[in-house]
Formats: sequence, structure tokens, C-alpha cells
Amino acid sequence: MSPAVPPPASPPTGRAGGQWPHPSPRGEVVEVGPPTRPGGDGWGGGPPGGEERRGGPARQGGAARWLTSDRAVCVWIPLFALRAEERRRPDLIGKPTALLAAEDTRRLWQVSSRARHSGVRPGLTVSRAIGLCPALTLLEADPVYYDEQFSSLLSALSNVSPVIEPVELGRVFVGVDGLERMYGGPEKQVEVIERVVGPHSPPPHRADRRTGGQAVSGLGELLPPYRPTALPPGGVGKGGEWSGLRLGCARGKFAAWVAASRAKPGEPLIVSDDEQAEFLRTQPVAALPLDPDTHRRLWQLELKTLGDLAALSEDALVSQFGREGRTAWRLAAGKITEPVMGHEVPEPITASIDFPNPIADRPILIQALGKLIDHALHHPRRVGWRVHEVRVRAVLEHGSSWMIEITLKDPSANRERIASPIRAKLEQAPPNGAVEHLTVEFTAFIRGTTELQLFARDAQAAARAGCRRALRWAAREIKTRVKRPMLHHIIEVHPWSRIPERRYALIDFDP
Amino acid sequence: MVANSRTSIRVDRLRPLNLPRPVNIELDHHALPTAVTSDNKRKAVESVGEIWQVDDEWWRERIARRYIEVMLEGGGHVVLYEDQITGKWFMQDP
Repeated sequence: MSPAVPPPASPPTGRAGGQWPHPSPRGEVVEVGPPTRPGGDGWGGGPPGGEERRGGPARQGGAARWLTSDRAVCVWIPLFALRAEERRRPDLIGKPTALLAAEDTRRLWQVSSRARHSGVRPGLTVSRAIGLCPALTLLEADPVYYDEQFSSLLSALSNVSPVIEPVELGRVFVGVDGLERMYGGPEKQVEVIERVVGPHSPPPHRADRRTGGQAVSGLGELLPPYRPTALPPGGVGKGGEWSGLRLGCARGKFAAWVAASRAKPGEPLIVSDDEQAEFLRTQPVAALPLDPDTHRRLWQLELKTLGDLAALSEDALVSQFGREGRTAWRLAAGKITEPVMGHEVPEPITASIDFPNPIADRPILIQALGKLIDHALHHPRRVGWRVHEVRVRAVLEHGSSWMIEITLKDPSANRERIASPIRAKLEQAPPNGAVEHLTVEFTAFIRGTTELQLFARDAQAAARAGCRRALRWAAREIKTRVKRPMLHHIIEVHPWSRIPERRYALIDFDP
Repeated sequence: MVANSRTSIRVDRLRPLNLPRPVNIELDHHALPTAVTSDNKRKAVESVGEIWQVDDEWWRERIARRYIEVMLEGGGHVVLYEDQITGKWFMQDP
């Protein structure tokens, strides 16, 4: 391999902005930059100006782009973890079952309806639960599996709409603005989503129940995949067939969530814009995203429905509950609609390397490929996504080219798992000449990462512990550099003092 | 709030939070604030909430304050008080 070379003034991939050279351990310059597009450069890549964007507001200067939708469908699968276990072990269906809490295996986390009938409740100790229901089947939580199942669900939904916002395990919002021309009206949109996720596709119900459901035939025609190239492994069906699915459709996430919580399994609830205010007025205040203490206070004030809340003045709510009160009033009165914020699937990630002296030696090529995969994996746009498809391209001596593509059966963010099938392909069909320029491109992604299971309960605890470690390390580093502590924490001095400045104080944070 | 670091607390290391900030107040004929000027920024008072009086510590340095909870334009929720010994007005978080 050649000694260090400066980054080319005009890189072969044709992109000046948004890329940054990385010196590799051996001194070569590796570029990790935005994707190439077919038809532009010598590789079949194109200039950045030709990038197709799917619309929606973009964040300034960042790689993350957000699509938004005012009209939302809330997809809710209550007791998602338990449902996931039933998918894995169908013999559990209909039996009294409970999942143990990940952080305290002596207590129950989720409880099936059959177990509830016997008086078993979440939070009970195992011994008490067994006492109440001797036939109870206890299962240890498997957060990684639940996360994988939820990722499959999200992937399946992303074939219906590009605007997907997961909230928690088993609850996700789908933005449906602009899908009318693809699927039809709200009834058909909901039906398509139910076909993708649910066990069957019954007709949806309007909120006022006046119009009733409207059965739609020929559902196959309703389901053109949104992005045929981005189908999850195993196809759309892998994310589907969830029982207990509830769907609510309305303007804004809050109303859609309320509609989903009021919908029955298999009977989606669609709230039209005209009916939304009346629909919300009759719903219980329990639907509001408030902390338990605020709910308790609302209950004590005999504010039972959103209509009761909206009838008060906004100032009164703000005076009692502060900012939370303002949000509650506005949600109850339908004054704000929170749009669904969909994180766009990342654009392809490219890493490339120049060889001023063309390389024909296979081990060096394999080593270079490993480095390029490493660099591409460290791209910030990859965070939170597993790589599904990889393309390796090379410009050979005398202007010819070579390319291989692989699709990972098990999407991964692990270097070795990505490199292994590439090596195998390289052995089967090696380039027929020395390589001048080598590029690795991640072209398709699947949600979730093996490094941090974002929705896993035990992983959250691990992340918190990691944060504390990082905080302690940062505090020591700051103290070393500036010779005095710059981090503080808040302590209670006289929390009930009538003099506000005497209630709390700052003290140096000295881990 | 972060976890207790088990560091011993010394009074000289404590720094009080939510110290009162001096402000200029415009009052109406009921002696209720109608506008607050702080850092050369004037904000109208949208609504007045609770009002209470604190008289305390007469045995050392007397405290006599009239507190008024107000909502400012733009949604700011603050507490104003008049130091009845000096006649000056201050603003704090609630």
C-alpha cells in the first residue's frame, strides 16, 4: 500500500461538502462521505446535487432529516412483550402467563388477561402470584428479542409510510399525510396498516359510529410497498400478525393515541377533523400524558373528562400545574396537534480509498476492505441502524471496474459479520486487475443496533450506569484541566422554607 | 438530580439557588403589578395569581415581603415580591 497521500482536491466520488478525510492507521486517506448516485462519476455514482429527497423539513447542517405528518395513526399493541412471547411460543396463548421484571426477577412485569382473572397483577411478588394462580406460567423477560420484534414491526410499517415514530415497545405512530393517492381515504389507510401488522383486516369504525364500517375488497391492490428495496428480511409479513392490535386515526399524535386507546382489537377507530373536538371532550383525563401526581390532583379537583379540563381557563391550569397544565389544557381543548416526526431511513454511507500504486494482492485488499467497513460503521448516520445491504466497488487499472453486492441475512453493525460474506464473494469472483480505487457502500439499513437495544429495559439501566460512569470521568477531567470543580449538584436545604432562595443550593459535584 | 457523591457538606461550599433578581415594576391603582422590567426587557403581566405576606426573623435581620405570583406575557410563570423594608421589588422562580 502506498505511503500517506493528501485528500484529493476533487475526490473521485465527486462530493466536496459533507465528507471528511480520515487518516487510517497506515497513513492512507480514507474518505467517508455521503452516498454516490448512479450515473455521475466513473463508478456509476452521481453528484450531490442530483440527490433525490423525499421532502419534509431538514435539520440545518445535520445528517438527520425529519419527515412530519399532522394526520396520525397510532398503532398500539398492549402487553407487547407478552404478545411477542406468545408469537414465539403459541402454546402460551390462552394460558395464565406472566413475565418477570428484568430489573427485579422476584416481581412480575406483564400479566396475561387469564392471569388477571385470578387476581395476579403486575408488581406482585412471584410467591404471591403463584399463591393466587398455581397454574401461572412464569417467563423471564427477553428484552433483546422484544426489541427485534419491534424493529420488524417498524420495518413493516415503514413500507406503508415513510413517517414512523416509535414511542415505546408496542406503540408507534404512523404519519399518513399525503397517502390518499396511494391507498385512498383514512379508512383504507388504516386498513392497509392493519393488514401489515394485524391478524386480519376488519372494516374500520368511524368515531361517531354513524357511518359504520366500510369493507374494502381486493386488499392486495391497496398494498404497493412504499419502498420495494427496503423490505425487511422475510418480507412485510414478518412484522405482522400481531393479536390484540388497536388502531386509532386522528389529527395529531395525542388524539390518535386516545382513539387507539378507545378502539377495540380488530375495530380501528377513525376520528375525522370535524368530530375531533367532540370526541376529545368526552374522553377521560387519564388519557393525558401527565405524571401520576398531577392525575391524582385532577381527580381530587373532580376534573374527570377532557371536556371538564377544556372548560377551565388556560391561566387557571397554568397557575395550578405550570407548564404541564398549559400543555394539558391545550391538548384537551384541541388547540395543539403534535405531528408525527419520522426519522428518515439514512442515505447510503460510503467509504473509499485511493491506491496510487494499484493493488492486486488479495490480503491487502481484504485488509483495506476491513478498514473501509470500520470507517463506514463509525459514520454518525449509521447510529441506530444495522446494515442490511453492502456494495463493494473498485476502479481497476486501465479504466475497467468491478463490483459485488451482498445482502446480509442477519443485518448487523458488526465489522466481522459484514466483512465475512464480502471476503467469500471476493474469493469467488475476484477483480480481474489491480485496484486503483476501492469503495464500500452501505446501501440499505434495518432499524435497531446490536450495540444498544434502545427499547430494552435492562439496556436502559445499563445506559444509565454508563452515563454515571461517563459523568464521573468527565468531572475528574474538568477538575484536572481547570483546577477547580465546575460541576455541581442540587441539594435540599430547607425545601419547605417560605423564602424561595433558602430551599435549594448548589454544591460541588465531586465523584 | 445526580446521585449522592457522599462528599461531606461544608457551608462555604453551598451556593443558594433561585436568588432574587432586582426588577422594576409598574403598578396599577390596586398596587398590583402590570408590567415587569428586567435586564432592560419589559414584559406585561397577563394575570395575577396568589398573593401572600412573609414577616419573619424579627429577632435578627427582619424579613417583610409581599409576594405576588404572576403570569407574564409569553408564558413566564414567576413570583415577584416587594421588600417592604427597602421598598424594592425582586423576581424569583416559583
